[in-house]
Amino acid sequence: MKAAPTAEPAVAEREGDQPGHKSLGRLMRRPELGAVVGAVAVFVFFSFVADSFLQTSSFSTVLYYSSTIGIMAVPVALLMIGGEFDLSTGVMVTSSALVSTMFSYQMTANVWVGVGVSLLVTLALGLFNGIMLVRTKLPSFIITLGTFLMLTGLNLGLTELINGTVSTKSISDMEGFASARDLFASQLTLFDVEFQVTILWWLGLVAVATWILLRTRTGNWIFAVGGGAESARAVGVPVARTKIGLYMGVAFAAWISGQHLLFNYDVVQSGQGVGNELIYIAAAVIGGCLLTGGYGSAVGAAVGALIFGMTNKGITYAQWEANWFKFFLGAMLLLATLLNAWIRKRAEAKS
Amino acid sequence: MTAAAMAAVIAATLAAGCSSTGGKRAEEEREQSKGQSAVDTPRWKIAMVTHSGEGDTYWDIVQSGAEQAAVKDNIEFLYGHDKEAGRQAQLVQSMIDKKVDGLIVTLAKPEAMEKVVKKAVKAGIPVVTINSGQDQSKAFGALSHIGQDENIAGEAVGTELNERGRKKALCVLHEQGNVGHEQRCAGIEKTFKGKVDKLYVEGTNMPDVDSSLTAKLQTDKKIDAVVTLGAPFAATAVKAVDQAGSDAEVDTFDLDAKVAAGLEDGSVGFAVDQQPYLQGYEAVDLMWLYRSNGNMLGGGQPVLTGPQILTKKDAPALKKYTERGTR
Amino acid sequence: MSALIELTGVSKRYGNIKALEAVSLEAHQGEITCVLGDNGAGKSTLIKIIAGLHQHDAGDFTIEGEEARLRSPREALNRGIATVYQDLAVVPLMPVWRNFFLGSEPTIGRGPFARLDVERMRRTTHQALLRMGIDLRDVDQPIGTLSGGERQCVAIARAVHFGAKVLVLDEPTAALGVKQSGVVLKYVTAARDQGLGVVLITHNPHHAYLVGDRFVLLMRGEMAGSYQKEEISLEELTRQMSGGSELEQLSHELSRTDTA
Repeated sequence: MKAAPTAEPAVAEREGDQPGHKSLGRLMRRPELGAVVGAVAVFVFFSFVADSFLQTSSFSTVLYYSSTIGIMAVPVALLMIGGEFDLSTGVMVTSSALVSTMFSYQMTANVWVGVGVSLLVTLALGLFNGIMLVRTKLPSFIITLGTFLMLTGLNLGLTELINGTVSTKSISDMEGFASARDLFASQLTLFDVEFQVTILWWLGLVAVATWILLRTRTGNWIFAVGGGAESARAVGVPVARTKIGLYMGVAFAAWISGQHLLFNYDVVQSGQGVGNELIYIAAAVIGGCLLTGGYGSAVGAAVGALIFGMTNKGITYAQWEANWFKFFLGAMLLLATLLNAWIRKRAEAKS
Repeated sequence: MTAAAMAAVIAATLAAGCSSTGGKRAEEEREQSKGQSAVDTPRWKIAMVTHSGEGDTYWDIVQSGAEQAAVKDNIEFLYGHDKEAGRQAQLVQSMIDKKVDGLIVTLAKPEAMEKVVKKAVKAGIPVVTINSGQDQSKAFGALSHIGQDENIAGEAVGTELNERGRKKALCVLHEQGNVGHEQRCAGIEKTFKGKVDKLYVEGTNMPDVDSSLTAKLQTDKKIDAVVTLGAPFAATAVKAVDQAGSDAEVDTFDLDAKVAAGLEDGSVGFAVDQQPYLQGYEAVDLMWLYRSNGNMLGGGQPVLTGPQILTKKDAPALKKYTERGTR
Repeated sequence: MSALIELTGVSKRYGNIKALEAVSLEAHQGEITCVLGDNGAGKSTLIKIIAGLHQHDAGDFTIEGEEARLRSPREALNRGIATVYQDLAVVPLMPVWRNFFLGSEPTIGRGPFARLDVERMRRTTHQALLRMGIDLRDVDQPIGTLSGGERQCVAIARAVHFGAKVLVLDEPTAALGVKQSGVVLKYVTAARDQGLGVVLITHNPHHAYLVGDRFVLLMRGEMAGSYQKEEISLEELTRQMSGGSELEQLSHELSRTDTA
């Protein structure tokens, strides 16, 4: 017995809905609303205190930095909606870059081969995180802390073992470098200003992630495994597969970031990336992701990255005393997040 | 996703094959170093404990210098490092417990190291300090200090900038709270006739270094010299100067292959080298001399390995050495 | 007419501990079978076997006359057994319509471009709830904003909509007040009237007697009794349920301390 066939045409229109009121209600309920308001506030603030903040070239710089955070913050947000953390993201980016450059260099292969091998290795790292999580049932905080430390050690140890130093050797004279750089680290000129291609990657990822989250079965499952894993399992959602998939999504973004790091700077320092994992998480949280899972958005994480980028660079544009830099950064972030939380509370109370 | 990954790799492999330029093969065509023991003295155990963090190019070169000297002098070389002073002191203690025949140590945070270094001296282990701790070395009972005075190095940069007619310099600090870095900037301020601005960047996040420098140069068009405090950041600074449309000159402390290449193509003005290889090599060699012949360098004064100002004319010779990681 | 599901002498052990010993139960189309028992009586073990979370060690478990051994909740669902758990019925932060279709989302398009049929999902949710007698103004509100009774109802409506033949309800009224419990029981009978076989797990004999056709009593993992409605009165059911002779013993003890 499937759904009673008589019922389908019975109630054709929805009664008592005013479409205008409803769409406003839906907008107010969006997780990224607070972040958008926070971003506007930060933007207006620095427009006043920093003269050079409004130049189009400054805009390009801010967007570039935001994109390097945003590319990672978006899949990290999806993972957090799915109820898990990943502390290994920062160093995984470096691992991905190292694998790519060292493989190409040691094998004297076309750099595209290294790029491909790096994709496989990075996805395998994500798979490892995911499988460890669902098999051991330990908190993801512990598992990815372990991966984080292991990768930090592997990055340094293997690089030194293979290269004799802790930074990699230049591969800019190798075949395929130019075309790979075009894909991962080129500049596009728009209105006489050069924009980094990472901004496109960032926007692309936001679009794909948003689509997955809101319009696919997988998206429904991501919300469900984060909001109530047991309930989801009880109605037949493949919880383990969804979580492993999320970790591999993070790894995929780490691969993009890693290749950017490699082709933008040519030489990779193996100690890079430590600490960035917290920035990605911070961006996702500023963007409205709940630390407990089940709630958030990809657009929000992107806006969170933008807030972080504007604040970070805005302080430089405002020429504030360098010693106080970190303090200002922390205070601005706290304010943006508080504003975000306040807006959300107001929105929820109204709807 | 896995299927897509496989497809991407297969595509890459098919389209790829090998690179006929660069890579390992090109490197192997270049020459090799290393060697074997040149003496028949007993196999002494010499330990080196530094305050290096993980993955620091600079300390890598110090280590390879020390290892080269150890090979030549038939010495068993032990190396330990920790950024955190308390743990560095514990490492020194463990070396004392191993009854080493000589101890080489850095004094980045002298107060934290005082007790354990004095303990080593008391246990009859000859101690030589390197790199940092010039002022405390003698008082703690070390036989000699090999290194560069960070203030003097900074002053040398200031003087060089004056000679190049620079008006406003930007000192780029990639590690907040590092005393040596602050001293370098202070040294520049002391001798430089123009103005010096400081910029803190996140050293572990290259895009941050890149964009912060770009932002600073976009804001302050008067800056005509950017001084980075570590070699890996010079190439990024060159990129940032280009992006910001600035005509500032990039100069740097320390040296690596990229900086050497930069000196050669003119994108880096000058580099101030404190010769890390020499610090490691000389310290171990000096220990051997002391053990086998009772020699000691310095006459109670620090033995300085820098600053050595390197410019375009030094570049061709340097390139070979930096690529193999000994300069 | 054969039972939709029938358990005969089913046992389950966890290591050395016997959780269930020789329990028999049947559920028929258009009937409500109530499983009564105190905490630790083995009700949740029984539910887990029927729902496919655990497998029984001994005895027979048949679905429409066919021998069955369910390996996953998904398999149970495919065989027409839907289970609604007390606290695990729904994901609170998700909108009602996403909850309604969770795990069985309809899509349009194919391959990587398959997308949710959102309009149909919203519409169907609204209609299915309406058919159960719930008129939600906005199916987009997070299901956590509904009352506990309403949430159970959404879960029941979901099971009915997806063509379940057997509906297993785990303590649907346990955390609810009197009025809410009544509402839920109304939807349980609504499900029965649509032709489902219902297994209602509860420790409240009053609720059970209101709607039940068959009663199975569990005590410390063993079956303490099995009755048709006409074979037993509410008083007797209550007496047996609340420990029978044990309770009389307890009342003696309490009255003695009272007089002392």
